[in-house]
Amino acid sequence: MQIAAGLVSLLALVPVGFIVWVAWQTGWEISASLIFRPRVGELLWNTGLLLFFAIPSSMVLAVALAWLTERSDLPGRRYWAWLCVAPLAVPAFVHSYAWVTLIPGFEGPLASILISVLAYFPFVYLPVAATLRRLDPALEDAAASLGFAPRLVFLRVVLPQLRLALCGGALLVGLHLLAEYGLYVFVRYDTFTTAIVDQFQSTFNGPAATMLAGVLVACCLGLLAIEAAVRGNSRYSRVGSGAPRNLVKARLGGSTIPCLSLMALTAALSLGVPLATIGRWLAIGGAAVWRVDAIGLALGQTIVLAVLGGLLTTAMAVPMGWLSNRAPGRLQRVLEGTNYVVGSLPGVVVALALVTITVRVALPLYQTMTTILLAYALMFLPRSLLSLRASIAQAPVELEHAAASLGRSPVRALWATTIRLAAPGAAAGMAMSSLGIMNELPATQMLAPNGTRTLAMGFWALSGELDYAAAAPYALVMVLISLPFTWLLHVQSKRMAGR
Amino acid sequence: MSVLELKNVKRRYGAVTALDGVDLEVAAGSRTAIVGPSGCGKTTLLRLIAGFETPHEGIIAMDGRTLADGKLCVPAYRRGIGVVMQDGALFPHLTVAENIGFGLSRKDVHREKVIGELIQTVGLGSECLSRRPHQLSGGQQQRVALARAMAMKPRLMLLDEPFSALDTGLRATMRKAVERLLEAARITTILVTHDQAEALSFADQVAVMREGKFLQVGKPRDLYMKPASRMVAEFLGDAIVFSAPVADGFAQTPLGRIAVDMAETQENARIMLRPEQVILQPALQENDATTTSDELMGAVSGAASGVVSEVEFAGATSTIAVKLLNDPDRPGYEVPLVLKGPGIEARSVGDIVRVVVRGTAHVLQ
Amino acid sequence: MRQTLASIAGALALAMIASTASAQDDGILVYNAQHESLAKAWVDGFTKETGIKVTVRNGGDAEFGNQIVAEGANSPADVFLTENSPAMALVDAAGLFAPLDADTLAQVGEQYRPANGHWIGIAARSTVFAYNKSKLTADQLPKSMLDLADPMWKGRWGASPSGADFQAIVGALLELKGEQATADWLRAMKENFKPYRGNSTVMKAVNAGEIDGGLIYHYYLFGDRAKTGENSKNVELHYFRNEDPGAFVSISGGGVLASSKHPKEAQAFIKWVTGKGGQDILKNGTSFEYAVGKDAESNPALVPLKELDAPKVEPANLNSKKVTDLMTAAGLL
Repeated sequence: MQIAAGLVSLLALVPVGFIVWVAWQTGWEISASLIFRPRVGELLWNTGLLLFFAIPSSMVLAVALAWLTERSDLPGRRYWAWLCVAPLAVPAFVHSYAWVTLIPGFEGPLASILISVLAYFPFVYLPVAATLRRLDPALEDAAASLGFAPRLVFLRVVLPQLRLALCGGALLVGLHLLAEYGLYVFVRYDTFTTAIVDQFQSTFNGPAATMLAGVLVACCLGLLAIEAAVRGNSRYSRVGSGAPRNLVKARLGGSTIPCLSLMALTAALSLGVPLATIGRWLAIGGAAVWRVDAIGLALGQTIVLAVLGGLLTTAMAVPMGWLSNRAPGRLQRVLEGTNYVVGSLPGVVVALALVTITVRVALPLYQTMTTILLAYALMFLPRSLLSLRASIAQAPVELEHAAASLGRSPVRALWATTIRLAAPGAAAGMAMSSLGIMNELPATQMLAPNGTRTLAMGFWALSGELDYAAAAPYALVMVLISLPFTWLLHVQSKRMAGR
Repeated sequence: MSVLELKNVKRRYGAVTALDGVDLEVAAGSRTAIVGPSGCGKTTLLRLIAGFETPHEGIIAMDGRTLADGKLCVPAYRRGIGVVMQDGALFPHLTVAENIGFGLSRKDVHREKVIGELIQTVGLGSECLSRRPHQLSGGQQQRVALARAMAMKPRLMLLDEPFSALDTGLRATMRKAVERLLEAARITTILVTHDQAEALSFADQVAVMREGKFLQVGKPRDLYMKPASRMVAEFLGDAIVFSAPVADGFAQTPLGRIAVDMAETQENARIMLRPEQVILQPALQENDATTTSDELMGAVSGAASGVVSEVEFAGATSTIAVKLLNDPDRPGYEVPLVLKGPGIEARSVGDIVRVVVRGTAHVLQ
Repeated sequence: MRQTLASIAGALALAMIASTASAQDDGILVYNAQHESLAKAWVDGFTKETGIKVTVRNGGDAEFGNQIVAEGANSPADVFLTENSPAMALVDAAGLFAPLDADTLAQVGEQYRPANGHWIGIAARSTVFAYNKSKLTADQLPKSMLDLADPMWKGRWGASPSGADFQAIVGALLELKGEQATADWLRAMKENFKPYRGNSTVMKAVNAGEIDGGLIYHYYLFGDRAKTGENSKNVELHYFRNEDPGAFVSISGGGVLASSKHPKEAQAFIKWVTGKGGQDILKNGTSFEYAVGKDAESNPALVPLKELDAPKVEPANLNSKKVTDLMTAAGLL
């Protein structure tokens, strides 16, 4: 297990090693001239602006919505809660496509920030809602009895408890902002990722692309470091024992209508706009845009990639998930940390590294299924690992021992206990990875085997030629196959909170 | 004069009635315990007093000021009532010092000093101040929670089963310490618990609650010895109950003629004895004097013979089941009496004993 | 645990091998940088006529050019199709093209193919200044592409610098005016222009009035008008003529890779594309690119190629590496 986990981590280090290697090969002077140039400054500014406004906005929106769905008596809050997660089923570039074709000339920083928030706020909403749901209400009662008005209780007791959830969610949003490609191309906003793809399209794997990737990686590591610093090492677990009381829902009273309006507005912007736009283009395109053979083929290939990628990702996560539960230690922490760092790298960087390495030193793997699946695995390993680790933790080794003492052979004992118990979590992790793979664009374009055309690629090619009507069926199919996965995510987060 | 007054307080949750008309008066500086099985509504009552929830009907008033009357409701943060929750509810994101100082103004120049005094008052060292709640033991957490509530100098302190999470040894110590502390600070206290011994030993006034109503409110000793109903009697401790005719202050029971606390005549009264009132003595020999010194003094009454049918030795105490040997003259009492006696009194199954009663028996209504 | 893992790994490996094998069976692999729809029309026509199966990988000129160079002799591709010449020149300079059959070369005029016969023109497109009719009148139009460097054009024009089309135009400028002039012009451009991704997007912006005009190729307008015209109804084309760098006619190239394992089929494909079948698709289809076959006619809706007064640029001399370096230095990439 140790060896397997070590191998996986080594593989995970490949993209970072690649950047260092190229920088070294290129030589300091040229590298420096490619890094310290005004264009990089522009991209830094753009990316920084995006992070600076989109992350806090997502946090505020997500906390407000989570509070309304979890802690208030908002009418229909169960349905609203689902609508707060559902925007994840719409790929970010489809959000952007919808807005751009709805409002011509909707572009630039403001548009980027708005669409980013709408596409990604569920990443903050999910953990915050889950935390709010299991937060011990006794703490709020205690603060009230100490003379704190509800507003202050929220600021000084609830909000600090949400810190972990907020940090985790904000980090996820930040990493997606850094990695997203299609969204920003539509609204004409240059970020590092779009610039790297431009360079790739102009020079294939030139050093300029790799140096941009280096700066992008530095940004990701910076985000990770900031998150770690803000999160601190405090534990916010519930102190003491005893079952927490049922939550008392805050009465909205006269604020019900404004709060409902906020909900409805968010749903309209994050779901209504994409769905209406897709619908509109489908209506314009009529039956002619349903090229069933091409769409069906793309759907098939997308599913094959998503399923195989999900399986590989989960299989690669097993050794690490196992170690972190059954044999935790310093080595294990270092190995696990590596996986998270690499998981935070944008797809373009991973793809750039793998393209160059396979074409130069591992040609038999070049443009093969193996390479693209490997890229997916590196990119989505943390998603699998998180839920796998949690579910293996639900299966203490004592159960296996008990099964063994009841006369099961080790393998059968494992099968009867740990694997059965960890299976739902592993499946959820796999679903998460598959969802990511289905909507992945830049890495797929760079690495896919010849003849591959996923739904995202098809959508991208058609919308790139401004054939928005022909792109609409692809968008619709992507949303439809993503919906069950988002539903699963919603249910899973409820169940985790209900523990 | 009473600090807190509750009149006909009602609270429902949907179709379920949690409180069905509760009246209570709590005297200044007193300690009241509300005791009842889980789900009886005692915690709901506490939450209504604290202001976490609102009653549907009835009046809650403190120091003559109405806190809730079914329409208006003063929110918890304006009531100035201290609360210590079941498991302390310490803020996990704050240190012990920050927890204690939570209710104090941040600008207060004496803040540090007050916190330092409070931590000492609850019997913890000042080295605890910089720790986080999860680094403390359960007992320490409760002490901090108490200090946090006391920092506001409340007139009224509510304790919601604060000792139930602690283990038995610590529990009694903590209870004693808290009792003394609140006494010294002259804080009126209401304790909610499902542990009758805790309620009886802690409070000046005990209210027994069941299904959203108070069955009986009174002094601990009165409640224990003179419970209004069999339900109260059995909730507060083991009870031996039988039916017997009463006349002239005595009841004719399987244990003989026993003094009761009622003068009227009643054909079929229900008599309650606490097991500890029943004493086992060695059986009289044929030639012994017919009366013992106790009987001469009038301290004990009744007398019957029994045979020990079961003995369970548990160190300091032993539990003994005695089957009465029926006297043809008296109505039978077939079920064995289960008594507790000192462990040093060795009895064995088959021993014939004399069963006498100490004190008077209580007639249930 | 080990056994379970091993079996999962085994299943995955099998699945990968199976899927890899199925992607590259018989037939030829085309690295296509031309518009997908045009390539598809060619491929379908070719397969229908010859029965030879064709797999297409879509991408950009420069991306594939550099990719083929990086792949070297191990390239899986048999045929390379581009929109512009620089990427062809790049691959040719690396010596990776096989000479084309003489009868294939004979199908296309000498001005539309390099002298060495290693690759061939398959279509052509003209640079234009697409402008918004309500924003600019005929006398306000730039006389030369170089005029767009003037500060008076600041914020008023757009282009798609990451695209191979624009990079080919810059390549022509470099070839015609030299490195210094090109670098200066690119720096001025960085100040003045608004970047878009894709020429259609530039035209859409012109149509919407976001910018007065854009430097793109001619056929986007015709293609859009053949569909809904939604993105071109306010757009008019201005041909620079006068052998201006902005009148550059870019040659889309096709070539057979020396490393091809199916040279016969690959040669047949290029022959078909430059022959009657392929060139008729240009005339009758919706690509609106110019045909380059000797006897082939272009779509009658287009301004005839001869009237465009394009500058003479040897396609083999277009240097894509230098162009991307200059553009990177100017902060355009």
